[in-house]
Amino acid sequence: MGLKGAGINLIATLPDVNLADLLREVEEDRDLTHVPLCREEEGIGICAGAYLVGKKCAAIMQNGGFFNSNNAIVSTLLQYQIPLLLLIYYAGDIGDRTFGTTGSMTEPVLQALGIRYYIMRDIDDAPELIKRAQVLTEDAKRPVALLVTKEVLGRRAALKSL
Amino acid sequence: MKRFDCLKALAAVAGDALVVSSAGAMTLEWNALHPSDSNFRVRTLGLCSSIALGMALGLPRRKVIALDGDGSLLMNLNSLATIARMQPNNLTHIVFDNEVYEASGSKKTATGTGTDLVGVARAAGIKNSLWANSGEAFALAVTSAMKGGELCFIGAKVSTERTQVPPFPIDEVENKYRFIRHIEKTEQIEIFKTNLPASYV
Repeated sequence: MGLKGAGINLIATLPDVNLADLLREVEEDRDLTHVPLCREEEGIGICAGAYLVGKKCAAIMQNGGFFNSNNAIVSTLLQYQIPLLLLIYYAGDIGDRTFGTTGSMTEPVLQALGIRYYIMRDIDDAPELIKRAQVLTEDAKRPVALLVTKEVLGRRAALKSL
Repeated sequence: MKRFDCLKALAAVAGDALVVSSAGAMTLEWNALHPSDSNFRVRTLGLCSSIALGMALGLPRRKVIALDGDGSLLMNLNSLATIARMQPNNLTHIVFDNEVYEASGSKKTATGTGTDLVGVARAAGIKNSLWANSGEAFALAVTSAMKGGELCFIGAKVSTERTQVPPFPIDEVENKYRFIRHIEKTEQIEIFKTNLPASYV
């Protein structure tokens, strides 16, 4: 698993139908502390708290959940300079039906917050991209986002790379 | 009840617990009574309980105390459901309920019109949830929480009376560094890793 390969040991998640297979992997992995959330913003707090006591954390959510999390991202992660790997399903990306408006606002909001982000379009890139994003977030002490597209999450058999 | 008196009772039994407190006068009062690098001040309204949960899950053998307010918890009620789901037995969640947004102009919160936060916590799945209705009851509840190994939620109705205390002495980033260095020292773990410059490798 790419996330474990990057040293991640605590993952906070909120489901999206396109994340379901990935979340099953997270749930079944006994080496990981998995925190299923009710709302994404609390996940930012949980990951911040766990980081302060030595955990390496990731938060997995849809981009709508990223919008839900913005106050915590600004006034906790950015204010205290706390790293966090955000793995965000890029709903409303090119070719993806239903969430076009959410999709159109995702990159502008990340840019406005000064959060560096990378778009994952090929599952084979996952382990390396996750490892590098983790190095960047730890070094910069700021959150870093990986936008994961439907074509990546759709390749179910290959999902173990994430 | 006066919040400051409750905090005094807590300071007497808190030991080396990690204490996460919601922004506002409560944090200043706590820090005046129990100055320590194990204190973490939260700036995002509502996030106190979630940050404390993260710490409790990250260090399951260390006591973690969340000092929350009614306005703060009302903004993140779902954290009670997540705490109940994770059942961290090292977490004590204390809510000082003065029924107003004290730091935001003292407007009434929903607890002032009848919302029962202990009832909400119990219904969310935190079995050991109770109102401490007197100073003695509060002291007893926190003493037993510090001794026991069970997740608990303690509510205390307090007046809006503030105690004169100094300001919080450090900013957010210094709070982070001091807190992490304190964890490294007391848990004997390395959290900040530094690398030699590339020319050395």
